[in-house]
Amino acid sequence: MSATSKFLIIGLALLVSIALPPFLSAGWQNALNTMLIASLFALSFNLLAGQAGLLSFGHAAYFGVGAFAALHLMLAVEDGLPVPTPLLPLAGALAGLVAGVVSGWFSTMRSGVYFALVTLAIAELFHSLTPHLQGLFGGESGISSMRMPWMGIRFATILEVYYLTLGWFVICAVLLWAYTRTPFGRLTLALRDNEQRVRFMGYDAHVSKTLIFTVSAMFSGVAGALQAVTNETANYDLFSAGVSSQVVLFTYVGGATLFFGPVFGAVAFTVFAFLMSDLTRSWLFYQGLIFVLVMLYAPHGIGGALAMQLRQWRELDWRRLVKPYATATVGGLMIAAGVVFLTETVSILFGLDYEHARTLTPDYLPDFTLMGQVWSPVAVSTWVLPAVLLIGGIALLQVARRWLDHSDDAMAASDTETSKGSV
Amino acid sequence: MEFFFISTLNGVIYGLLLFMVSAGLSLIFGMMGVLNFAHASFYMLGAYLAYALSSVFGFWGGILLAPILVGLLGMVIERGLLRKVHAHGHAHELLLTFGLAMIIAETIKLFFGDFPVNYQIPTELRFSAFTVYGTNYPFYRLFIGFVAVMMFIGLWLLLSRTRIGIVVRAAERLPAMAEALGHNIPVVFMGVFGAGAALAGLAGAVAGAFYPTNPNMAAELGVIVFVVVVVGGLGSLKGSLVASLLIGLFSSFAVGLDWSLAQLFGLFGLGEWAQSVGGLMTLELSSVSGTIPFALMLIVLLVRPAGLMGERN
Repeated sequence: MSATSKFLIIGLALLVSIALPPFLSAGWQNALNTMLIASLFALSFNLLAGQAGLLSFGHAAYFGVGAFAALHLMLAVEDGLPVPTPLLPLAGALAGLVAGVVSGWFSTMRSGVYFALVTLAIAELFHSLTPHLQGLFGGESGISSMRMPWMGIRFATILEVYYLTLGWFVICAVLLWAYTRTPFGRLTLALRDNEQRVRFMGYDAHVSKTLIFTVSAMFSGVAGALQAVTNETANYDLFSAGVSSQVVLFTYVGGATLFFGPVFGAVAFTVFAFLMSDLTRSWLFYQGLIFVLVMLYAPHGIGGALAMQLRQWRELDWRRLVKPYATATVGGLMIAAGVVFLTETVSILFGLDYEHARTLTPDYLPDFTLMGQVWSPVAVSTWVLPAVLLIGGIALLQVARRWLDHSDDAMAASDTETSKGSV
Repeated sequence: MEFFFISTLNGVIYGLLLFMVSAGLSLIFGMMGVLNFAHASFYMLGAYLAYALSSVFGFWGGILLAPILVGLLGMVIERGLLRKVHAHGHAHELLLTFGLAMIIAETIKLFFGDFPVNYQIPTELRFSAFTVYGTNYPFYRLFIGFVAVMMFIGLWLLLSRTRIGIVVRAAERLPAMAEALGHNIPVVFMGVFGAGAALAGLAGAVAGAFYPTNPNMAAELGVIVFVVVVVGGLGSLKGSLVASLLIGLFSSFAVGLDWSLAQLFGLFGLGEWAQSVGGLMTLELSSVSGTIPFALMLIVLLVRPAGLMGERN
């Protein structure tokens, strides 16, 4: 993809994200806001995980610290401190920076698995300590505040908050992208690829890693602050392992090797969560399943896999690929449908409502409704359908794979022929 | 004295339970370099499977079958999933097990719901072992400790006295050399992973009847188990035992003590100042008992990264 088309896509996305939200419902505006915060959090996390190769399992700590800092500033603004509301996230940035310097210094003393464990321990330290600190973190109930109006903007609707978030997201994303273009950004990649060599060249690896950690924590703090500004409240739950693991999930499903990969993951998962959380209780199950499948079959994330296809767009022989790709898509959809059917069936059959229904009809297993249809748990058809979907889907995937292998061979053969001809 | 005695006993038994789970984790890490995030999930799975099976095969049947099933699942995971991502490096394996932990937790919620299940000790085991200072000490607690001790002895004998143990230790030290000598290292890896999972499953099956069996038990125990293996030294069985007992004793004593930093400063005549500072100063030890393990882990990682008994960094 050329640079111009990249700018075109980004410009278009920006235009849509500015122009579209006023026409959407408040629920969607809220979802978009959440999406931007998650994207910023994932981008800052990926600076550490993807670019520096330091896998942190405790990034919730800096997100949470940023949120609480912003809330304390909001409380001060309520008491008359003249800080404009749009600048509140700066408090989060500062808090993330301070927390990042301290814990970055300690955690980057170790690398690999040990680094992951130190970051995990620091986040757990926060999580277990904050409910007991009444003054700073408001104990178990947390602290709440109100957004104050500024320059005629009341920040009363979610739309106003959304534009604030969008502004901060764009600024931070540009800064983070610019960071990758600096010599220090190059050094970040070098630290991931060969730390020893960086040391030989005379750089202080520990100080550099602390700096990277700090930058990442600072931007996570901004994301946390934006969340605090949105919700006007925060409690110790922000430090939980769940928050840390969500950002890992977003980043690696989206693709840690690309700059915008994490944004892709965050957007996809937030949209799915928004759409699915009303429909199914098993949303987190699917999320885990998607993550494991991506780890197994697309190690560079979905974004990484797509980018590779785009890069080879011209070289690939699409006429030959259409058939296997279409077959694989159908197969994948069939498997997905089968898995969803089985999961939802289990969720109903083992649910409390069904247990109650069974006590009403002790002699036989009552029917259940799924996707607008009535199914009987003892009927063969109920179980044949997912079986057919799963087996058929796997078979189609196998067929597509064989075709792909075959066309690879054919392509390799034609390549050797042309090279022979040219010699 | 009563507090001291009961706390020691409880601490040792909780420590032994931690050891049952951390032993497998440590063994797997020492051999394959994989930090298995899903290890505590095997513990939870053991508890739930034992609960489900106990309604069919009785309590003992459940305790016996659950670890076997969990062990088999562990083998399947190693063979079918972990080996696939091995080429992408340890970070990738870590992420995969992290995803598996999520799937296992959600699957359990799917089948058993979000609430604790009623997994109980059978009535024939529900008696007090002895009475001290007027309180009855439940026999089942001693039973948990007994199972853990038996497991440690069995594991130690297996590793140090049998041919299998020699091969396993050789595979841990120099896998390429052991393979050159004709041992099937992939099978050894699979077996160790399965055995580690089965041990965690056994711990879950035994302890689940005593402690609450709920979908959060893996997450709660998981982080503590990480603390244990890091403090003890990743890959060291003896270190795991020592660290487990240490953490067990720490947490059981901390719950009952209301010491605070302010009192410590009070010894030097700074008590009032510390009280006025508040915050961290006036926090009582009992309320931060959950924090102590993490603080301990941080200190160990920074001062002695190989752990108390670990050999390598």
